[in-house]
Amino acid sequence: MSLDSSSSSSSGDEYIEENPNSNPKMVDERFEVLTLTEPVELESNHRGDGSEIENGSLNRERNGGDEDDDRLRVENQEIFGDAGPSSPSSSGYAGERGSSSATSASRIDEASEIDDNEIREVRNDGSLEGISDSQASSWVPGKRHIDEDDASISWRKRKKHFFILSNSGKPIYSRYGDEHKLAGFSATLQAIISFVENGGDRVKLVKAGKHQVVFLVKGPIYLVCISCTEEPFESLKGQLELIYGQMILILTKSINRCFEKNPKFDMTPLLGGTDVVFSSLIHSFSWNPATFLHAYTCLPLAYATRQAAGAILQDVADSGVLFAILMCKHKVISLVGAQKASLHPDDMLLLSNFVMSSESFRTSESFSPICLPRYNPMAFLYAYVHFLDVDTYLMLLTTSSDAFYHLKDCRIRIEMVLLKSNVLSEVQRSMIDGGMRVEDLPIDPLPRFGSSPHLGQQRPPTDSPERPTEPFIGIGGPAGLWHFIYRSIYLDQYVSSEFSPPLNSPRQQKRLYRAYQRLFASMHDKGIGPHKTQFRRDENCVLLCWVTQDFELYAAFDPLADKALAIKTCNRVCQWVKDVENEIFLQGASPFSW
Amino acid sequence: MGCSSSLPDRSAGRLSGLNNAENSGVPDAKNLRVKLVLLGDSGVGKSCIVLRFVRGQFDPTSKVVTVGASFLSQTIALQDSTTVKFEIWDTAGQERYAALAPLYYRGAGVAVIVYDITSPESFTKAQYWVKELQKHGSPDIVMALVGNKADLHENREVPVQDGIDYAEKNGMFFIETSAKTADNINQLFEEIAKRLPRPSSS
Repeated sequence: MSLDSSSSSSSGDEYIEENPNSNPKMVDERFEVLTLTEPVELESNHRGDGSEIENGSLNRERNGGDEDDDRLRVENQEIFGDAGPSSPSSSGYAGERGSSSATSASRIDEASEIDDNEIREVRNDGSLEGISDSQASSWVPGKRHIDEDDASISWRKRKKHFFILSNSGKPIYSRYGDEHKLAGFSATLQAIISFVENGGDRVKLVKAGKHQVVFLVKGPIYLVCISCTEEPFESLKGQLELIYGQMILILTKSINRCFEKNPKFDMTPLLGGTDVVFSSLIHSFSWNPATFLHAYTCLPLAYATRQAAGAILQDVADSGVLFAILMCKHKVISLVGAQKASLHPDDMLLLSNFVMSSESFRTSESFSPICLPRYNPMAFLYAYVHFLDVDTYLMLLTTSSDAFYHLKDCRIRIEMVLLKSNVLSEVQRSMIDGGMRVEDLPIDPLPRFGSSPHLGQQRPPTDSPERPTEPFIGIGGPAGLWHFIYRSIYLDQYVSSEFSPPLNSPRQQKRLYRAYQRLFASMHDKGIGPHKTQFRRDENCVLLCWVTQDFELYAAFDPLADKALAIKTCNRVCQWVKDVENEIFLQGASPFSW
Repeated sequence: MGCSSSLPDRSAGRLSGLNNAENSGVPDAKNLRVKLVLLGDSGVGKSCIVLRFVRGQFDPTSKVVTVGASFLSQTIALQDSTTVKFEIWDTAGQERYAALAPLYYRGAGVAVIVYDITSPESFTKAQYWVKELQKHGSPDIVMALVGNKADLHENREVPVQDGIDYAEKNGMFFIETSAKTADNINQLFEEIAKRLPRPSSS
């Protein structure tokens, strides 16, 4: 066990690995030392709720009569990221446990990175289209390494474990390995939890070297994450909450009664066949920002197209359907709810994950009990699910177990209208065209057209098709803008730009999401925040976050990006989002107005 | 055989519940319509039987686990020129859905109970479903006992005779099938169609 190798190679060594493609590797290495270490002991789920009124933001106008109020200024409070790597405080997990197998911390990481990521191939430049979706599609669903258990060296080296167990220590789910063989390990986890509980306390986090062990107790169900991914405690806890929610979606919270009747109750048979659902959810923690933003995203569509879809869904909702949701992959096309029924973005995430990961929904129309944990964790709803094409699916939710034929009828009507009004072909087109791209960020404030053909990509006449040459530092958008996520607080929606070079590989993209995730956690940390802005520069990239009462903007820039220019660019991004908001957001979606 | 598809069927749209499929069609001795439910342990091949019957497909690599229940329909023509439209509920075999089975078998005219000839546990589970239907199903329900995966005869653990005996004792129709080779799949549904009670009109 050589401590030296791990400390000298800096905390970023989890990212080092042989890479056949030299070009992306350079960028990979840039990201290596991206460390945004945050205090993690606090337990809070604080969302910037805009309760603080400061800097005269009280009389801000949202729709731009006086645009300056909405602008991010250089003078705003800033926190400068310390570019220095955090030094690993102690050795790796396996070594501490006295295992003779591990030789050095960096070796462990090398081996296990494969499993945390599961995606080894690195994309070449040039493939602009659908890069963001490539992660989801190149990932093979299902549980891996079923043959492992806690005695396996490979099992111990995995970077991120998730466990569900009962309060009697019975294993319910494990991300890796066979649950039944992990009975001893589960019992250990249970012992730790109940030991602390017996003292009238609660264990939330245990740190052991590079590893964090995060605990979440939900009645008789215990959830545990063991991770050395350096994600903040808040993020890991949020992931455990989602895993619990996914379980509730499948079984409802009435499962607790089984444990009341019989504390030794074995829950694994009840979750039979749902490995894919959980593994797909866990995979989405590294590619789907909805998992930490608690917001959903829409497929970009012309306003009229989305309106047409919304109208027919509304029609159906008025006939006794609780929620009618039309989605394409993880993006919403339109959705409506019955009066006063509201759908939480996390429920949507869990529902769409359930539907997309369960192959059986694709074979034919189906009618299944599901529970929306944020809507009512105790009761089943019934979901009519039908795939209209490979990626587009309709979900009609009802409280009535007898409603199948009615819902089938509704679906036929909806499908007819969608075909007639070309919504489905527009959806296909949008899938191909993709969403907002940083390269398309309008450089000059241009006269606004009523509506642009596709996300304002129509360039002002002065802008020649062969662009760059001047104000670009590196590749990406203007001022070295690489990527951004804009989250609208009122709408509970976010929009994320497509990945463009230099963010080519899934690995880089995942790393960026992790960085955003840290940024999100730090911005919402009660102990420090709520911040208004945060500007962090290190040798890998510049991250800029800006939180107002209306929105949150997360942007990544080239590490050499000029700060003033980056801030200016963020203002432009916000303006751009505003200009195309009718295409990228679902407006006036009643289910979310509470 | 296999003339109509399971694609959107507008005539099925008038119905308002899972349990009244048989009430809504115009009574017609020549064009029967029946609700059929498949029950059985998980992994015995219920979905494979249905997909083989409805679409003529079999995917040996597929490990698709049914969620809740899938709905498919298929119409067959019999030799006496009657047609039978099967509205098929392919239920999930998972334990968590067992309590919800009545939702799907309520009002069913036909129940097909499937087990895997290589799995005695699945045969036991099949008997559980037979009893459940005898207690809670429609009294005049037509029941079929199906031993699937007949192509795996070298791994057989449930003797044919056991299936025959059990079916006979319970007044069921018995057949062994292979969704993989398509063996006896159409025969299964044709035999069921022949056993359906005909409307006494005309």
